[in-house]
Amino acid sequence: MKERVLVAMSGGVDSSVAAALLVEQGYEVVGATMKLFCYGDDVPDRPCCSLDSINDARRVCQQLGVPHYVLNLESAFGRDVVSNFVDEYARGRTPIPCVRCNTFTKFRDLLRKADGIDARWIATGHYAQVVDGAMHRGLDPRKDQSYFLWGIDRDVVRRMLLPVGGRTKVETRAVAHRLGLEVVAEKTESQDICFVPDGDHTRILRQRLGDNAPALSTGPLLLSDGTSVGTHQGFARYTIGQRRGLPGGFREAMYVVDIRPEQRAVVIGPRTELLGRGVIARELNWLAEPPAMGAQLAIQVRHRAPAAAAEVVRITPDEIELALDEPVAAITPGQSLVLYDGTQVVGGGIIEASRRSRASLPILAA
Amino acid sequence: MPEAIYLDHAATTPVRPEVREAMEPFFGPRFGNPSSLHRWGREARVALDEARERVAACLGARADEICFTSGGTESDNLAVLGAWRARRAQGRNAVVSSPIEHKAVLAAVHQAAKEGADERLCAMTRDCTVDQSSFDRLVDSDVAVASVMWVNNEVGTIQPIEQLATVAHERGVFFHTDAVQAFGKVSIDASVVPFDILSISGHKIGAPKGCGAIFVRRGTVIEPLFHGGTQDRGRRPGTENVAAAVGLARAAQLTLAERAEECRRLTALRDRLEEAILAAVPDAIVHGRGARRAPHISSISVPGTESESLLMALDLQGIACSAGSACQSGSVTPSHVLSACGVRADIANAAIRMSLGSLTTDAGIERVTEVFPALIRKARGLAPVSRAQAVGA
Repeated sequence: MKERVLVAMSGGVDSSVAAALLVEQGYEVVGATMKLFCYGDDVPDRPCCSLDSINDARRVCQQLGVPHYVLNLESAFGRDVVSNFVDEYARGRTPIPCVRCNTFTKFRDLLRKADGIDARWIATGHYAQVVDGAMHRGLDPRKDQSYFLWGIDRDVVRRMLLPVGGRTKVETRAVAHRLGLEVVAEKTESQDICFVPDGDHTRILRQRLGDNAPALSTGPLLLSDGTSVGTHQGFARYTIGQRRGLPGGFREAMYVVDIRPEQRAVVIGPRTELLGRGVIARELNWLAEPPAMGAQLAIQVRHRAPAAAAEVVRITPDEIELALDEPVAAITPGQSLVLYDGTQVVGGGIIEASRRSRASLPILAA
Repeated sequence: MPEAIYLDHAATTPVRPEVREAMEPFFGPRFGNPSSLHRWGREARVALDEARERVAACLGARADEICFTSGGTESDNLAVLGAWRARRAQGRNAVVSSPIEHKAVLAAVHQAAKEGADERLCAMTRDCTVDQSSFDRLVDSDVAVASVMWVNNEVGTIQPIEQLATVAHERGVFFHTDAVQAFGKVSIDASVVPFDILSISGHKIGAPKGCGAIFVRRGTVIEPLFHGGTQDRGRRPGTENVAAAVGLARAAQLTLAERAEECRRLTALRDRLEEAILAAVPDAIVHGRGARRAPHISSISVPGTESESLLMALDLQGIACSAGSACQSGSVTPSHVLSACGVRADIANAAIRMSLGSLTTDAGIERVTEVFPALIRKARGLAPVSRAQAVGA
């Protein structure tokens, strides 16, 4: 009896190849494309999540001789992902909706659908690897997506198959060509957030919060000593480490170093003020045994950022604090903190604050 | 994979062999344009006229009251928009309809509203039937057209068309009915029931997709949707699809000839299906069960399940059903019909529509009565995943 696997297919090359490889490996594959948000008339075509993508996934499944379904997860996605995205910006933070999407929509909801059809496994086209129930980085360092996957339930990870995680993107495309999946083989990748079609996240904030929301209203642009150096058009337009849109005329290059929503203030400063020696995270999730006090781990505070050595200096069920051996730039509330032991993902959390030095007070966004 | 069971006849039906055969010559030697004066043209014209007569006979109508279209959607749009646009300037700017109409009618009504019409949707009773007193209140002398479907496509309830059409007529209101699901299931006779406009579709009755017809009673003036030649008295310009018209006529004749017997057969099968499911799942809800229903549609909700997962599981067992009407992406969207009839959202989201027809057999129904309750038991055994508010919390 072949084991059944429910494959989440975006219509892109990675998940298409994932499905094809599982068919080759002898699984009984069932394809599913998640419809996560409504295709409004004003949304231009996107490489991911569009009606065309659903059709591409369906065509790939037809070619593979496996069934394909469209899962309408719009309301769950709106509740679990989009609303949180808006709330986080309103609090002066910079969320990663993909993390919550993976945690709730892509995997937890998918697993529920898998249970409904007696599928033992679920699979996606993510570049990460699951070995003996443990999650590891993807083999291709340029494609590694483990940073986005720390929030998944440990029980879910045990049932995950990630067939392209042990390959490079180049290899994945080669497999697509070898298997004749020309519909998707050379598709470009989606880089933006799927429900922010043109890269302008303030549009959805305006829709949800109204034009006069504090996060979208004029506020002071300050130096860290409190000196006012101008105004900005809404702190939700800024993220820590940003240079674009800041006034010139300073001796050094200036960055956003802090956002203070209670004052509607955006604080700017030179690069030295961007560096943190400590990070505090909440909403923790563990994919391995939680680390002990004093444990030495590698951490990542941003997608594609290099891993940094760190030591656990405080850990409770709700919060973790790590001290960094070397300073790390732009530790941003709302982004993810992911802890690694070698290539293994130990767990992660949502960044709450950073510290300039081990002894200094935490810099809180909210 | 066990033998596939198709229970989605309300979505579409296979083209009948007799229909293919009737159409065949018009893809070959009898390819003429019915508007041409030469022998090819004459041949095509005669075939078209005969097809029109046959369809008319099936509806108790006269041949000049039948116009061929591309299907139910075009017929519905032509009826609603065509009637309203023809009458809006005569002090009749309102359009009345029901909230359980097919999207082809509802969207046409919304379009009229966008263009300035006064849109009025009547209330529904809990068993998915139009509330006649509500309809009566809405249909006034300022209404251009009232449109109510004969048989609902999701639930199968039969609407009181004769009463509604009579009320409309008393106030000089054109009455349109979408009979796409009704044709071949209920008695339709234009000489008995005073509807003014009626839509039918080919692919629901064994003709190909992309063909349909509209009945427009003599004296009922509507504006065309398309502009071009004078084909079909200017109501529907464009060279006629002769093959499709011939196919539609053949399918309509066959369907009507078999109607009584087929309805008896389908009623028995549907009742068996519903009784077996209710026996195995006593809290299952058969929508519209208390109302008059066409024999081929059964809409069932089982509390604590959801149609999307159930449809996947059924399909993987080779049983093809639907949740209601299909969406372009193929995803399951909540039924506007059930919501309009006061069905709770979680119950509406659990609805499975099984629609019977020519491919339905005793053995197939037998198997569904075994598989469906088993899948329900399984679905209910799965505790819903609790949803923490925060990641990992």
